[in-house]
Order: sequence, then C-alpha cells, then structure tokens
Amino acid sequence: MDFVQTITLSALCSHLLVGLSRAMILFVVTSGMSFVLGVLRVPNVAHGSLYMIGAFAAFSISNLFGGGSTGFWLALILSPFVVALVSLIAERSLFCHLYEREHLMLLLFTFALMLILGDLVKMVWGADYRSIMAPEYFRGSVTLFDAPFPRYNLFLLVMGPLVAVGLWLFSNKTKIGKIARAAAVDREMVGAIGINVSWVFAFAFVLGCFLAGLGGALVAPTVSITIGMDHDIIIEAFLIVTIGGLGNMWGAMVGSLIFGITQSFGILFLPQFAIVFPYLAVVIILIWRPTGILKSVW
Amino acid sequence: MLRVKGIHKSFEDFKAVSGANLTVEAGQLVAVIGPNGAGKTTLFNLITGQLKADRGKIIFKDEDISKLPPYEICRKGIARSFQIANIFPRLTVFRNVQVSVLSQQRKSVRLFRPAETLAVEETNTILEDVGLSDKADATAGSLAHGDQSTLEIAIALGNKPELVVLDEPTAGMSPEETAATMELIRRLAGSQGLTILFCEHDMEVVFNVAESIMVMHQGITIIQGGPDEVRNSARVQECYLGGA
Amino acid sequence: MSKGIFSLKSFGPIAALLIALVILPSIIPRFYIYILAVIFVTALLAMSLNMVVGHGGLFQFHHGAFYGVGAYTVALMLTKTSLPVWVGFVAAPFVAAFVGLLIGLFCVRLTRLYFGMLQISLGSLIWAIAFRWYSFTGGDDGIHGIPLPSLISSTTGAYYFGLILLIISLIVMFLIFKSPFGATLQAIRDNPERCEAIGINVRRHQLIAIVIATFFAGIAGVLFVVVEGSVFPDLLFWVFSLEIFVMCLLGGWFTFAGPILGAAIMISLRTFAGIYTEYWTMILGIMLILLIFFLPEGVWGYLVEKFGFQRKKSLEKERQ
Repeated sequence: MDFVQTITLSALCSHLLVGLSRAMILFVVTSGMSFVLGVLRVPNVAHGSLYMIGAFAAFSISNLFGGGSTGFWLALILSPFVVALVSLIAERSLFCHLYEREHLMLLLFTFALMLILGDLVKMVWGADYRSIMAPEYFRGSVTLFDAPFPRYNLFLLVMGPLVAVGLWLFSNKTKIGKIARAAAVDREMVGAIGINVSWVFAFAFVLGCFLAGLGGALVAPTVSITIGMDHDIIIEAFLIVTIGGLGNMWGAMVGSLIFGITQSFGILFLPQFAIVFPYLAVVIILIWRPTGILKSVW
Repeated sequence: MLRVKGIHKSFEDFKAVSGANLTVEAGQLVAVIGPNGAGKTTLFNLITGQLKADRGKIIFKDEDISKLPPYEICRKGIARSFQIANIFPRLTVFRNVQVSVLSQQRKSVRLFRPAETLAVEETNTILEDVGLSDKADATAGSLAHGDQSTLEIAIALGNKPELVVLDEPTAGMSPEETAATMELIRRLAGSQGLTILFCEHDMEVVFNVAESIMVMHQGITIIQGGPDEVRNSARVQECYLGGA
Repeated sequence: MSKGIFSLKSFGPIAALLIALVILPSIIPRFYIYILAVIFVTALLAMSLNMVVGHGGLFQFHHGAFYGVGAYTVALMLTKTSLPVWVGFVAAPFVAAFVGLLIGLFCVRLTRLYFGMLQISLGSLIWAIAFRWYSFTGGDDGIHGIPLPSLISSTTGAYYFGLILLIISLIVMFLIFKSPFGATLQAIRDNPERCEAIGINVRRHQLIAIVIATFFAGIAGVLFVVVEGSVFPDLLFWVFSLEIFVMCLLGGWFTFAGPILGAAIMISLRTFAGIYTEYWTMILGIMLILLIFFLPEGVWGYLVEKFGFQRKKSLEKERQ
C-alpha cells in the first residue's frame, strides 16, 4: 500500500490544523442552528441558505468598498446583519404565525424558505462563481509542521473560540440570553412571567441566522462563492447538531470538531472517499449514543 | 392480585413517590386518594410501565412487572385509562375501541384482512356497555369532554383486562357525568367481575363506591383500609385538614 | 350494512379513470405519455412515503434514499451483471426494504425529530457513497443507457409497465391501509403512548411499516429506471426527499389517495412551470408556504372536509 508511506507525523499535524480550521467555520454556522433548535425546537432547513447569503453579501460589500482590507472587514461585520435582516423579515411576516402549530409545519416552512432564498440568490447574484480576497496580511501561508498552512486559517482558528466564548457569555450572563434559555426549557413558564415569548423566539431565530451569515462571511475568502453552497453546508450542519446533542452549543463545538477533523484526515487517507468519513463517524456515534454525545436541551 | 411494595420515583431532585404501598385483591374495587400532587398519577404510571421505578417492587399475579415495557404489562392483563383523555383523535369511536380489541386478540400485525370484519362484535358490546353505541361513527376528537373520558375507559376495556387502572376517570366532569361514570365503574366491577383500581381527589365520590381505599400524601402511603377505617383515621384527617 | 372493502360507489369513477389511462397513450403525444409515466413513478413513491408519514406519523425525512437504492440496484444489476432482467427488477424492492430495515432499526429507537435527523444522516451516507464511488456507481454522472427489454424500453411500454405496477401496488397498499395493521398504525400516529398502554409493541409496528414503505419505494425505483433509463445521485439527495414530503402534504396526509394527487400536481406544475421560468424552486417554496397557511390538510383532505359530510349522511341513511 503506497499511500501509507506518505503519511508522516507532520502531515498528520498539518491535516489536523486544516481540520480544526474547517471545524471553526462549521462551529460558527452550527452554533447558530443549535441555538434555534434549543429555543424554538425547529431544525432550520434554511440555515444553509442564510449562510450562502452571508457569503454573497460579503462579496458584494467587499466589492462596494473596493476590496482590500477595509472591504474585507466591513463585509465581515455587515453581512451577518444583512442576513439577520432577511431572517427578521421572514420571521415577523410569516414564521411567527406558526408558533402554535405542529413542529412539522415549522420545519416545512423553513424548507420553503430555503427553496425561495435559493432562487432569490440566483436572481440577485446569478449562477456565476464569485470570490473575494482576504486582506494582504491574511494571504499566503506560514510553515507549520513542515507544511504550508494558510494564514487565513489561523484567523479562523481565533474566530471560532471567540464566537464560542461570546455566545456562552451571552446566553449565561445577559438577561435576554437567560430568558431565551429558559424559554427553551419551559415556554409556558416564560410566558407566565409576562415575557412576550414570540419576541424571544424572533430574537433567537434572528441570532441563529446572524451566526449563519457570519459563518458565510468568514468562509467567503476560502471558497468560490456559488449557488449550491446552501445544500452542501446544511446537511453537514444537521449531522453536527445531531451528534452533538440537539440544542447544545458545546455539542455543536464537539460535533464540528469531529466532522472537520475526520474530513481532513479522510483527505489524507482516502481522498476519493473523504466525504464519507464524517458520515461514517456520525453513524458510529449515533449508534453508540442515539441522542448525541452531549445532553440535548430537549 | 397486585402488590406494590415500597416504590420510589424521583424526577431530577423532586421526589414524586417515595415509599408507596398498595394491595389490590382480585375482584376488589380499590381507590387511591390524596390531594393534588400526592403522586397518584405517578404511582399509576409506575404500575402500568409508563415510568420506571427507582426502587421497589410491583408484583402482579406473583410476577415482578416493574421492569417491563407498557405493552407487555398490558398483555399480562392490566389495562388503564389516562387522566387527560388519551384517545386516537382522528379515528372513529368504533375504531378507537377496535384497535384495542385487535391488540388483545394479537391481530394487530395482520396485513391483508380487512379490519372491518374483525373484532366487530366485541367492540360493539363494549360500546354498548359504556353507552357510546350511538356515537360509534363519530370522529373521536370531536366528542364532548365527558364522552372522551368514557371512551378512555372503553379503550381500556377492549384489552379484556383482569385489572383496570383508571386515573381520575371523573376529572373535569360535571356532577351528573361524574355520577354516571361512577355508576359505570360500579357496574363493571359488579356484573363483569373486573378488578378496578382508580384514583380520585374528591373524597365523597370515593367513599360511596370503593371497597378499599389507599391514602397518599406527598408521595407516601399513609394508610390502606376500608372506607370506615380510613374515614376515622387520625392521620388522614391530619393530612387533609391540618397538613402534615 | 357490511360491504366489501372496495365500495361499489367509488368503483365507477375509478373504472372510468382506468379506462381513460389505458386508452390515452394512443391519442396523446409522446411527451405527455412520458409525463404521465413520471407521474406514476412519483405517485407510487409519494404513496409509499405517506404510509409511514401520514398513516404512521413517523418523520421519514429521507425516503428518497430507499427509492435511490432500488433504482441503483436495478441499474447496477442490469449493467454490471449478466443476470436476467427480471432478477434485478425483483431484487430491487427487497434490497430497498433491507436497507429500510437496517436504517429503521436504528431510527425507531428514537422519537420524532431525532428519528428524522438520524435518517437524514444515514440516508446522506448512502448518497455520499453513490456520489463519490465513480468506479462502481458512476459518481455524480450516474449510470446512463441502462439496457432494458424491448417490450418496456419505449415510452409507451414504460407507461403501461408503470401503470400496471402502480395499480398492483395501490391495491396492496389499500389492503394494508384497511387491515388491522393499517388501523393500528393510524392509532400509533394519533397517540403512540396510548398504543403502548393497550398492548401494542409500537416500535415493532413502526419498523414493519418502514420495511413495507421502503419496499414500495424500491418498486418506484425500478419504475424510475424503466421510465428514464438512467440513475443519478440526485435521487438520493435529501432535498428531493423533502419534495416527496411536500407532495404528501399537498395531496393530504390523512387520506389514502391524496399523495397521488399531490405527485400529479407537483410533476405537472414542474413540467409546465419549467417551460416559462427557471425559478421552479421558488414557485415550489411559495406553494408550500400557501399550503402551510391555508391548506394544511392538503387538497384531497380539503375536498373530503368540504364535501365529506354528504358522504357521512348517506352512510347514516344506509344504516337505517
């Protein structure tokens, strides 16, 4: 077997780093999905579409400000808000009227949203491939473990934990975060103490979508931005939140790490079937622990 | 027939049942009473397997059933009704009971016989017994509250049980409906020779019907005995009047 | 009062429809024959999904996986082996049902949404394999030009083959729907906890339902190969599975024949919308939102609700 010889310790380490940086993107996206799952108990099928909109918005904003450093940072900051706005409109105009209905209807609504947003993106941005450049200082690579490692990925490795800490502080230390968590456990109770549950849900939904947009903006410089991005990410996001434990933010972290790392090791060992490894990991985990590794909030 | 010995069940840090004992002899009409939150429903859920006990034994006809799943407990001969009408809302009243009869006859996995021709007589007999014959074709979800509760009991009867466990069969009923339901229970116990275990929070209802009464308070069995014995028990009065 | 399982009243319209379907190919253009054949395939698929979703109340989110498994089984057996054609045709539903059993075994341990999520995961694993295993499944290109017997390789031949298989399948499904098993399954949908309490082994029933439904999905997969002469991984993609879900919703979950109507509407809409616009998915999305808000019982369910009481009245008359 000739491929065994090519695997060295340094190759393992550098693939681990690649996997980690991929996991950070996945985490930013899935933490948002997990948040929505935790509070509304609905898997947001449109989450991937919002991620895609985040990436396209980043492209447009970055171009608007002439690319470069300013364009990049403005895109990173503004496109999540664009996505949040889109989701807020969808939530307040239609979605919020469904909270009393069965969960299946909520889920199917997000599916409808996915279908509509997918075509909207096609109308606005067309079917071409787009790309944006990271600022000068994030381009190129550094040498780590005898292998080149993109500088931008180092940035991702910082952003992931930052988002995790931010989200943790938000949901444990702020009042609205605590209310949202309480609503996840017992919505009648929260309603009973005079809080408008519908707005809590709106807030949770928009925050989740904001994170999807942030994930899209973060991923934008590393991939070609195109329609179809939504389909690729959403199924991964589903799997990650399922193995992590539905609605558990740290579960999303654990799931993302497993997914990112198995994928990059898969590329190392069996490139053609790299895509299969994370799925296999998911299957094994779910057979071992059908409700995910960490405790679901449900 | 049924013996519950020192059963315990907690949810997180709340002790719902902590040391309940109960004896039901064949043919008896036994009531469990206690204020709201005494653990009556939890006790019933433990007996019929919806919940698993942390500790203690439940013996039914010389066999420990505390570890069995609900459907096996049912097949041993214990059927139950639920406090909040727990019916099949989209099916007809007839079908609601028929499904139960089919299950009892072990015919529910048959794939290629029309259900219309099976278990019809048995189902109609039960509907007649409980007085729902005229509503057999109605969709169960559209029934009035009292009728749904009656249907609850009819579904339980479909299993041809030896022991019927009824969780507050008169919950939310008007006084007339309550009287009718109690009459039904008395009749089932009398003419059909069923053993019945039911719970109630209204004491008056119970003392008229039950042969044996178990009193629960904060998850603990205080006493079990005949109506007079219970009525005169100092501890029961303490619980109900003074609080323990 | 007691009547046969197929009531005489509905016999007339069904017979008329059947005769029309038999005659149609000789009077309509080939393109429409093809569209009708596609509707047959999709209708069978939607019907099989509705057995577990509408009648069983299970969140079968990745039904397309079993359809794809059936189609790929036929395609691979016809292109990679020299076995007689019928062996592939017969094997496909059984392979699909076997995969259904395997996946079902894991899924029925879980409730509702977890069931659905796990099924999407496992189904996507199959998709990933079909998508990537170029040397075996043809990867994202799929397998084309599958050799079919001359009798069914023409559009008209495929049409009649599809029609016959659809009718046989529908009869079997209807028998199951009306059987004690069907009744019990609907009871489980309405209230699984209560079913446990009346002595029904809920998980076993759900598993049997999944196996039967995936068997029929496998038959639909066979039909797909007969009609299209090719397979591709999109069949196994989860978005398609949700589209079948929408067909069931569109037709009406709680009715028997609703999904046929749902599939017919969807396929026709897609075909004719596709002529005028490239934004078919948006139309589908808007349609789905309208359904959720205004017709949650589906088209057929709405019709039954609206005109159904007349039928009930006539039933009462029969009783007297």
